[in-house]
Amino acid sequence: MKKLIAILLAAVLVLSMAACGAASGSAAEAPAGSAAEGGSAAAAPGGSSGSIRLVNGKIEIDAQLKKLAQMYEEKTGVHVEIESMGGGIDIQGTLKGYYQAGNMPDIFVNGSDADFSNWTGLLADMSGEAWVSDTDAAYANADGTVGFPYTTEAIGLAYNADILEKAGVDPATLTSPAAYEEAFKKIDEQKDALGLTAVVGYYTEPVNLYWSTGNHVFGQYLDAGLARDDSTYIDMLSDGGKLDEARFTKFAEFIGLLQEYADKDMMISGTYDQEILNFASGKYAFVTQGSWIGATMTNDDADAYAGAGSFKVGFAPYAFDDGIDTILTASPSWWSVFKDGNAEDAKAFLQWLTTDEAQEVLVMEAGFISPFKSCKYVANDPFAQTMSDYLAAGKTSNWHWQGMIEGIAQNYTGQVFNDYAQGKMDTAQFVQTMQQVCATAYGG
Amino acid sequence: MKAFSMGRKITSFALLIAGAVMLIIALALDFSGSGTSFRGPLLVIGLIALLAGLYLFPTLKYHKNIINFLFLFPLLFTFGVTVIIPLVLGIFYSMTDWTGIGYTQFVGFANYMAMFKEVSFLWSLLLTILFVLVNMIMVNLVGFALALLCTSRLKGVGFFRAAYFLPNLIGGIVLGYVWQFVFNNVLIQLTKTSLLSNSGPAFAAIIVVYVWQYAGYIMLIYVNGLVTVPGDVIEAAAIDGASSFTTLLRIRIPMIASTITICTFLTLTSAFKQFDVNMALTNGTGSISNFMGQYLTNGTQMLALNIYNTAISKNSYALGQAKAVLFFIILACVSLIQVRISNKKEVEM
Repeated sequence: MKKLIAILLAAVLVLSMAACGAASGSAAEAPAGSAAEGGSAAAAPGGSSGSIRLVNGKIEIDAQLKKLAQMYEEKTGVHVEIESMGGGIDIQGTLKGYYQAGNMPDIFVNGSDADFSNWTGLLADMSGEAWVSDTDAAYANADGTVGFPYTTEAIGLAYNADILEKAGVDPATLTSPAAYEEAFKKIDEQKDALGLTAVVGYYTEPVNLYWSTGNHVFGQYLDAGLARDDSTYIDMLSDGGKLDEARFTKFAEFIGLLQEYADKDMMISGTYDQEILNFASGKYAFVTQGSWIGATMTNDDADAYAGAGSFKVGFAPYAFDDGIDTILTASPSWWSVFKDGNAEDAKAFLQWLTTDEAQEVLVMEAGFISPFKSCKYVANDPFAQTMSDYLAAGKTSNWHWQGMIEGIAQNYTGQVFNDYAQGKMDTAQFVQTMQQVCATAYGG
Repeated sequence: MKAFSMGRKITSFALLIAGAVMLIIALALDFSGSGTSFRGPLLVIGLIALLAGLYLFPTLKYHKNIINFLFLFPLLFTFGVTVIIPLVLGIFYSMTDWTGIGYTQFVGFANYMAMFKEVSFLWSLLLTILFVLVNMIMVNLVGFALALLCTSRLKGVGFFRAAYFLPNLIGGIVLGYVWQFVFNNVLIQLTKTSLLSNSGPAFAAIIVVYVWQYAGYIMLIYVNGLVTVPGDVIEAAAIDGASSFTTLLRIRIPMIASTITICTFLTLTSAFKQFDVNMALTNGTGSISNFMGQYLTNGTQMLALNIYNTAISKNSYALGQAKAVLFFIILACVSLIQVRISNKKEVEM
């Protein structure tokens, strides 16, 4: 009996050792594989079964993309897995982790020059694809055409057209600081009658909302009023973080004006959700956000928006200098195909996205402004009309804030906007501090 | 030497050779970038064959050593793969211009020089030391006070113990967001501006949240220490007319001296590594109007978060890696001192 137990125990021991060996053996294999060959480990499970994985940087359109993935799978049998990230997640950092772990997606999002330069030599050249001739917004660099554009976005001072009309302000006149001051004053006086909390929704909270001030508002200084190919101020910034003092002072004065009429309870520590909800509920006449809030207004805040009468909206330029009459439009990010992944299936999927049935979902349901000329749909997004108007009139500037050094908004400029809003510095100090901070950001 | 049969010798050598060959083939396939699907199993089977061959190796003299090695192997291997190799790689990367994907050149100590020239990094270092000092005292005081409370004869002590310990079970990120909501939406009614929007109060807020989270854990260790103080000693003190305060000071605290050492070092190292609450609550924001002649925008950013933001958000992986090496050296020193002191205590007792 004793012997039997001993044998049994020994057998268990041997088995568990074998299990240990197997576990550590396969653990050893994974890092070695990724170090030696990068992504092909990720390709192996996907390649044979015909499935691709897409990392999407716009979490607000997650549902629509999943729908597209399902349509595509029904049509071709290729499984598309959608992995959405957003809301302040560092997507490039996560992707680098995926790369180190040999778990690269086949299609992933890139948002800036720096993002693309991270992946030099690792992206598939798509210049041979049919969609390339159908758009002006593809991203090309030394590796070829590596970015697939999927939408167009705009940044301006979003306004509630109904309120402006009731207050007797014509948005077309808002092309100078003086006109803005007059309009703000006029609306401010009728605040109670119009049901407004404040004239402007300007939020500067630096922990989660730094991207609004540090990227988009700051981006107005870089590009507002300029021709699409004019890169004067981003070039200056890239040259050791220099700011044009005259232009930036005017910009700072305009920000000061926004602060004067902003919702002071929310300006310092309010969240994005509160900002959009308040605008959608008709409590602000203006809000310092871009066209992406249309999706939030018609989805998450649909009840509030309907309750406020589904008002018409528009964009006004950030006219911090006389004669600025453009809003900024560009493709906010691109989808790239990972060369060592399931590149052929991925390219085919992107090509399919430009077809009629896919564009219908992207435009009509996700609210995208299609960058493809052949697309015949017009989104029912609240901001689609105003964007089309600006595009048709040629009153758009390119945006270059994506060319700023990485992390500048989060680690540097966002906080300065917040300090200015808190009243810790006056306009002159704001300009001076911003100069110092940008020099630090670019200096080391 | 007729102790081993021919069969065993042959089995052993055959297994050793076959295992080694399979391992080499699997590794060669791997490094050559071959996508063959059987190289994983081949590696595992090769490894098992090699180990079995070692076990059956015909020797009496070294048999015990081989067995010892076989039993240690899984642990050593895992330790090597998860700790030693990353450490060596990390130190190497800190001397290159690594981007997180690849590197183009070896830069020597340039990253280390740049690190100490960065004023915001020096600020983070200073702030972390301040945070560690404050927390070492606060967490221990609060934890000890709670432990006294929870070992007294109050009713419902069990409930309080659980309640104080509960925050420790919630992840730091969740805690950070919960408290961010409290500071930005609830307490703002009292404070007018959010506590988190200025560096000083925001730093205090991080300390409060951290103490709230960690004191319960330290309390539990102190409770364990306090209940091991023998009752007869306390009784004797009471008979001698010692007040409860004197008993605490002269009897109970000296008798749990080793617990205090443990708790002090536990709080010290964990406060040094503070990351999640810091990130979720303020993400290092807050301005310092003048530190070494510079305006800083990372008023509440502690060392671990500084490293993370340098690498991830500013995309300077090599510089972040250099900072991480310094961080490792600091923590290694602290741990070594801790071990030294604990050993001394043991000898005395």
